[in-house]
Order: sequence, then structure tokens, then C-alpha cells
Amino acid sequence: MKFAVSLNSNDLISDAVKKSIELDRLGLDYVWVSDLPSQRYAPAVCAAIAKVTSKIRIGLGLISPFLHTSQQIASSLTTLIESYGSRFDLCIGPGDRDELYRVGVDLKNHKNILQSLLNSREEISTLLQKRGIESRIWLGAQGPKLLKLVSAFDGVLLNYSSIEMIEWSLNIMKEEVIDIPRSIGIFSPSYVYERINPKIQKMLHYTAATVALGTSKTVLKKFLLDEGLEPARIAHKSKSLDESILKLIPQNIIKKFSIFISQDELPNYIQELKRLGVEHVAFSYPQGYSLETIKELSEGLSKL
Amino acid sequence: MHLSIGLTTSISANRMKWIYENADNLCLNGLWIGEDIGRPQEIFTSTALLLLNTKNVNIGIGVTSPLIRNITTIARASSTLSEIAPNRFRMGLGIGGIQDLTSLGIPFKRPVNSMERAVEILRTIWVNNVNSISNEELGIHNYTAKYSSKRIPIFFGVRGPKLMTLAASIADGIILSGPRQFVEKSIKLIKEKRNSLNLSSEKFHFVLWVPTILIRKNEDLEIVKKTVAIVALDTPDHILEMSGINKSEIFLIRSEMKAHGIEKVVEKIPDRIIDLLCISGDADEICDKFESYSSLGIQEVVFGPPYGKDARKSMAQVAQTWSKNS
Repeated sequence: MKFAVSLNSNDLISDAVKKSIELDRLGLDYVWVSDLPSQRYAPAVCAAIAKVTSKIRIGLGLISPFLHTSQQIASSLTTLIESYGSRFDLCIGPGDRDELYRVGVDLKNHKNILQSLLNSREEISTLLQKRGIESRIWLGAQGPKLLKLVSAFDGVLLNYSSIEMIEWSLNIMKEEVIDIPRSIGIFSPSYVYERINPKIQKMLHYTAATVALGTSKTVLKKFLLDEGLEPARIAHKSKSLDESILKLIPQNIIKKFSIFISQDELPNYIQELKRLGVEHVAFSYPQGYSLETIKELSEGLSKL
Repeated sequence: MHLSIGLTTSISANRMKWIYENADNLCLNGLWIGEDIGRPQEIFTSTALLLLNTKNVNIGIGVTSPLIRNITTIARASSTLSEIAPNRFRMGLGIGGIQDLTSLGIPFKRPVNSMERAVEILRTIWVNNVNSISNEELGIHNYTAKYSSKRIPIFFGVRGPKLMTLAASIADGIILSGPRQFVEKSIKLIKEKRNSLNLSSEKFHFVLWVPTILIRKNEDLEIVKKTVAIVALDTPDHILEMSGINKSEIFLIRSEMKAHGIEKVVEKIPDRIIDLLCISGDADEICDKFESYSSLGIQEVVFGPPYGKDARKSMAQVAQTWSKNS
């Protein structure tokens, strides 16, 4: 089982660097750096992290091929790998629809998102191969349609945390995909704690709410979450996620879309994931919020 | 006058590494990296490497096109670079080659308007991480940046008179490339425009970046002539006119090159064309030629590529000679 922390490129670069040094020192396997249109440029943040770390693998992603061309993504990876060695992975996926819309990329206008993603994956692979660059390419996926693409990728990172939802995703893959990728992982808003800090808990709620609001209706219906989330979805159409929208989201939904467990509960959760065949867990924001939250996770992992 | 070294995203990782490892010791003013579209290295990631691995030199992008990326990507990438090394990063913008843009399916329309809009939006985003920004033309809706930057100097890498006039109005500097007479007229045009706008020309930074080649042996002349042939192919006609170059000579080079390839044309390049389209010579000669641009108003000169037969030695030798002479 590989463990990762996903850093938010909201962080100042100096903070991202400090956290990465600590993650490297603590023996975490991966640090993922997501690329969001409103935040710092992830490939440059990855370069800063690579310079100060030596062992930890660095994941560029999720990065959207609807915002960057395949050429640009492949070239970023080429520059990083040629300078700092083969310790970079890539994760691509459509990206946050709302954030993309704000910068003029409307996924509704794309006729075939799935085919475009497959094309990007192919183009990136071809460019990397031509340059003699090796890197694993993961798919960041959630909905059932995306899950059908997994066989074209080296790994899949499921944007789920609930055991029930992960199991359901894996079943879809088993039923509908010929070649299941060799690596199956999850990435989820996380807070593994020693003692609950209400401020971090609130951040977790926001991040989990963002994931829930971006989840496809098919998935929400399947897990009977659609009606509960509807008032928040309606409110979210006219404004960004704020406290008033957060209050409209039932706690069971927040819980479904986040890992919120104590250090002592972590071993059981990981055991359940292992049983399902999950071998990569990326603890996303706010787990990487501070050196303290990173330490809390590391202590939890040491109990495995 | 300052000396910098120029590179592009066509460069190998090894050579880029050598450049950033030596840039501070060579007492350079800076490094400029230009984007060759579709080449292996990525412009912003490469610039991050240059900033992360140097301490004193300025690092500039010279240039990238605002048409080939989402403008918010350029905004956040440049802001991230500026955060890596505050006060050392310079952002260069140019419209891009018609062929490159066409191959990417990007229409080449209203370049002045595109550049003006790009600069306006970049500067708005960089300083504004509180209020949301919208721009109907670019499809930006309620965009709020979760980063911010101090003022990042913007340089234009442009050659047409309208774009130069725009540079004079809104940019912090310009990277000029072309024959001496063209450079002289361009500087005059920009200074006049700034005067008419009551803007001080002293606050505007003129950079010269032309192909430069260090010659050690006679056989190095072949690199020079090959470079000149390529430059002749790429130089727009209006620049030839502004430079008083006999166009028929250039047209002959172009047609020979198309018909017989670069190897054949090399023999037919006259010496006077060489001096018009590139800077070459031994290290002292190159430094003298660079220095002679100071009287025109150039404040910074950029060495290379293609540098010379041994690129590393050439860079080191020119930098050392420059340092010694100054």
C-alpha cells in the first residue's frame, strides 16, 4: 500500500516546500500537486518540491487536458523528469467543471469528453515515449462513464472515500472493463486526527462539499444522496460555495465524501481498502494543511 | 550595459543545467528563455528550474504567446514564478509565428488587440485576489485568483510598428531582434511614442537579442553562414526594408535554400549579409559589437544561441571577456 498527501496549490511555495521536506522525511510514498485554474501553476510547484526532496515520488495532478494541451502536459513532465529523474507520475481527468467554466472552458460544449481524454492520454504517452521518458499516467475518475476508460491508464485514482462507493466503482470496472489497471487508488478530502481541531474539520467540510457538489447525478441517485443534496445544488448554481450552502448539505453526505477518522481508526479503514484491492491512498486537503496535520497522519500510519 | 544569455525550450536538459549552474558565477545580468512551440521543454517549468537554481541573475521568458494558452494559466504560471524568486522574474510576450499559430489552429487576427487585452488582464489578475474578474471576450466568469503578485515587468518581443507602438505605451521593455538599422529605427519609434505620451524612456528597458556565434577557427564560419541562411528565411520583408538590405540578395538566399537545402546555400552567402543578420567574431569582437549598441539606447544584450561550435566554452568565454572589459 502506498500513501500520499495531496498538496493544495493554494499554499505559498515556501509552505509547499516545507511540507514536502517533512513528507519526504516521514517516509510518505507520494506527494500529489493538483493543478486548479484559480491556484498556483502545479508543474512549477512540482519543480520546487523536486529540488528539496530526494525519495518521495511527485504526482503532477490532477491536471486537466481541457485546460492544457497534451503537448504542454508532456513537456512539463519531460522537463521535470530530465532534471530530477524518474520520480514523477501524472494524473489527468476532466477537472472541476465549475472552475473550468470560470476560465472560459465549458465542458458542456465538448461533444465527447471521454474520447478527448483518451486521445490526450494517447498523445501524452506517444510524446513521452518519443523522448524516452517513463512515467505512470493515472486517471482521476469518479462517475461510471469515466470508470470505463480505466484500462487505457496505468492506474486509477477514485475520488471516493466511502467503502461502499469504492466497492461499487470497482464492481463497475470488473463488469465493464476488460483490463483493470495495475494500480487502484483513491484520493479524498481527509482529516486523520489525534485530537479534532474544529478549524481543520470545517475545512474538511468545505472540501467534501465541493466533491459532493461535483458528483454526477447518477452516482448521487445510486446512493440515495440526490434529494438531500438538491437544495445545496440549486443554491450553488448562482454562487460559490459558502457557509450558507454548506449548511444546506446533510452531515451524512459530508461524511460520505471524506475520510474523517482518528489515528486509532485508521488501521481498520486501511484494512478495508486492502480487502477491496486498493493500493494507493492519497489524503487530500486539508490533511496537508499544516506540518501538524501531516504529523497527525504520519503517526496514524505508523500504527498500521 | 548588461550581458545576458539566451536559450530556448529546444535546449537539452543537460545544457540548461550547465547554464543555470554557471549563470551566477559568470556574473551575467540574466537569462532569457524563449518558447519554441512544440519542443520538448515546457516554458514555465523550465523557467521555474532556472529561478530555483540561480541566486542573483534575472530570469526572463523571452517570449511566449498569449494566444496559445488560457490567459489565466499564463497569469498563475507567471505569478508562481515571481513567487519563487521575487524581483528576479520578467515576463515576455509576443504574438507568435504565423506558421506555429496556424498549425495549432489558432487564428492570427488583430494581434495588437490581443496583446493589449492580454497585458490588461494579466495585470488585473496579478494584483487582484479578492474580487472576481470577468471578461466576456475571453469567456472568463467570476474568476478569483487564489494567488497574487507584485508588479511583474512585462517585455514585448515584437517587430511590427503597430505592436512596437503598443509596447511603448504599455510594456516595461522590449526585446529587439534584427539588423542594426532596424534596431535603431525601432528604438527611435518607441522613444518618440513614449515622449508623445509623456512617459519617460529611461524607465523603458531595451534588450537586444540577435543570433550570436563565437568563432575560434575558420571552419566555425559555416555555423555562422547556416545561421544567417535561417535568419534570412525568417526575417519579414518590412524589416529588410527598414534595414536598407537589398531584398533581391535575401530572396536569392531563400530560393536557393528551398531548392537545394541549407548546405548548398552556405557557399553563396556574402560577408556583408553576415554582419547584418548576426553577430559573430572572437570574444573581443562580439563584446565590442554588443557594446556599440549602447549608443543606440540598448541596455542589455543577449548572447546566443547558437553560441558557437562548443556552446559551453563559447558562453563562458564571452561572459568572461565581457566581465573583464567592463
